[in-house]
Amino acid sequence: YSTVHSLEPLPANGPDFGALGEEAEFVEVEPEAKQEILENKDVVVQHVHFDGLGRTKDDIIICEIGDVFKAKNLIEAIEAHVLAAALFNAPLLLGEDALPNGLDVTFEVTELRRLTGSYNTMVGNNEGSMVLGLKLPNLLGRAEKVTFQFSYGTKETSYGLSFFKPRPGNFERNFSVNVYKVTGQFPWSSLRETDRGVSAEYSFPVWKTSHTVKWDGVWRELGCLSRATSFAVRKESGHSLKSSLSHAMVIDSRNSSILPRRGALLKVNQLDAQPTEPPKRPLKILVLSNVYTQRGAQTYNPKIKGWMFYLGGPTSVRGFSMHSVGPQSEGDYLGGEAYWAGGLHLYTPLPFRPGQGGFGELFRTHFFLNAGNLCNLNYGEGPQAHIRKLAECIRWSYGAGIVLRLGNIARLELNYCVPMGVQPGDR
Amino acid sequence: MWSGSWRVRFQEDKVSSFRKSKTAEPWPENATLYQQLKGEQILLSDNAASLAVQAFLQMCNLPVKVVCRANAEYMSPSGKVPFIHVGNQVVSELGPIVQFVKAKGHSLSDGLDEVQKAEMKAYMELVNNMLLTAELYLQWCDEATVGEITHARYGSPYPWPLNHILAYQKQWEVKRKMKAIGWGNKTLDQVLEDVDQCCQALSQRLGTQPYFFNKQPTELDALVFGHLYTILTTQLTNDELSEKVKNYSNLLAFCRRIEQHYFEDRGKGSSSIRSS
Repeated sequence: YSTVHSLEPLPANGPDFGALGEEAEFVEVEPEAKQEILENKDVVVQHVHFDGLGRTKDDIIICEIGDVFKAKNLIEAIEAHVLAAALFNAPLLLGEDALPNGLDVTFEVTELRRLTGSYNTMVGNNEGSMVLGLKLPNLLGRAEKVTFQFSYGTKETSYGLSFFKPRPGNFERNFSVNVYKVTGQFPWSSLRETDRGVSAEYSFPVWKTSHTVKWDGVWRELGCLSRATSFAVRKESGHSLKSSLSHAMVIDSRNSSILPRRGALLKVNQLDAQPTEPPKRPLKILVLSNVYTQRGAQTYNPKIKGWMFYLGGPTSVRGFSMHSVGPQSEGDYLGGEAYWAGGLHLYTPLPFRPGQGGFGELFRTHFFLNAGNLCNLNYGEGPQAHIRKLAECIRWSYGAGIVLRLGNIARLELNYCVPMGVQPGDR
Repeated sequence: MWSGSWRVRFQEDKVSSFRKSKTAEPWPENATLYQQLKGEQILLSDNAASLAVQAFLQMCNLPVKVVCRANAEYMSPSGKVPFIHVGNQVVSELGPIVQFVKAKGHSLSDGLDEVQKAEMKAYMELVNNMLLTAELYLQWCDEATVGEITHARYGSPYPWPLNHILAYQKQWEVKRKMKAIGWGNKTLDQVLEDVDQCCQALSQRLGTQPYFFNKQPTELDALVFGHLYTILTTQLTNDELSEKVKNYSNLLAFCRRIEQHYFEDRGKGSSSIRSS
């Protein structure tokens, strides 16, 4: 019999609620009654049968399995079957027929259950959460997926519903629609935030790259965390609406997303966000008339104030407290309108290689240099002034530590950091 | 005897320095009052509350700058307007503001005895329970007013669809509160009757005096002025509400008197109500 190792992992799909990348699975093919070395034998696939189909539609099967007919040898036939795993679990059985090198392929199929539940814990930047999920895979027979996710964490609580549909025959081309609500508390700014949003995204491959275009509409509500919140932050309380369009391009040739051994990841992201302004048309209403007048009352300009960038923390500029760099007022950090951040990291195996080949492989020593800056823009000054502003008073840090890889989902870092370029007000 | 008087003076010094430390800083120049946008957004009930506070601060001779912000309701620590920002403290609603101002050493009701103070509190409760609730009812539970005025004004600073969502949310909240206090099933006519009764009580108490407690205005005068003046000068879908108030001539004279004395006169001169 032949065994097949490390098939290509499935293309990443679904909304980014933290869809955990499915690890490549080890697949074993059952030994046949006829023990033959089939591996490199030339074959012609004559028939393909499917046993056990229920709700899966025919056209998507033909798309996915069309490759099986083109298979020239056993390896290719088996690889073609992997694409179908999103629809059902499909062990491969082979039979022999008519032609001396003819092959009858029968897929004995178990469709995925209509409803599956999951319970995970997630770790993020110094926060943890527990995630309950409900998944309805292959909902209408063409690999559509509906996911409901509820996450309860130390900083954020959220729930969301998402609908995902790939294009039959080409799973890398897909779109999904999400509806979500996130509530979070941010002590570094003394802010409480509730976001309710709708988003739609469309992914498609172009040559070796993967592109995603996403529209996101969010209703954001900000509130003060306590009575001691600074007035600058209190002024941002209230409701606002943001509509944004983003495009991301990813080229990922790494062999693991947590501690890759080879390959490179390039991600280019652009976002255009509009604070939707209220319409300027005059409203047909009766105006309050008071005899005494107040000259020119100051009006609130709904500039995109609540949507700031933050800098600092264990994954941006290490050595600084979470989001605690930049403009602040009475101890609350306000964020900035522009930022840049960069890092240089070097990972090496542990010195003297303890536990080599086993437990020790999960650790790396880690040397890093992080830098970044955050500021508010003064639109009257022009881009030269902005670049100059971002280039002065750079915050940076360097240090070393140990990284531990936790499964394929997270990493634990213990670093000794030396923060430099600290400006007054940073923490 | 000599030692006795020295001891008394020492006690007095201690008491006055204690009082000074409680009041801490004097009233700053940049004290600010926040309310919603005057022209397009603010509603009858909020305007009345804001005017009451402004009148009160005028009567105490404390300057305050009025700033209009669309999110004033959400900035307020209690969710109600107006609120004042004095130094680094934020205080909202007339009751707490009166207390805050008293702690700084200014008070309008110091001259009243206990009986009068209790009476003043009772009338303030009457205004809040009757007049303010009637205003809220008219704004949020009378379909004609809601459709023509309230809904559009409340959501005006926000883009679609947020303007509708927030207006419906607020309406649902107010209706729920009305049910809780037993006003859910009242008709508009019953509410107007209640307004009339309230005005009658106020008119009787005022009589021919210039202010409710004879010569000097108190926070009750500020509160009554805020509500009555706003009702009189606001155009709604119909005039029934302001007609109820106009029935009482001494109330009309009272409003005019306060307006002339505390707003027009001062507005021309040193502008104690400065607005930016």
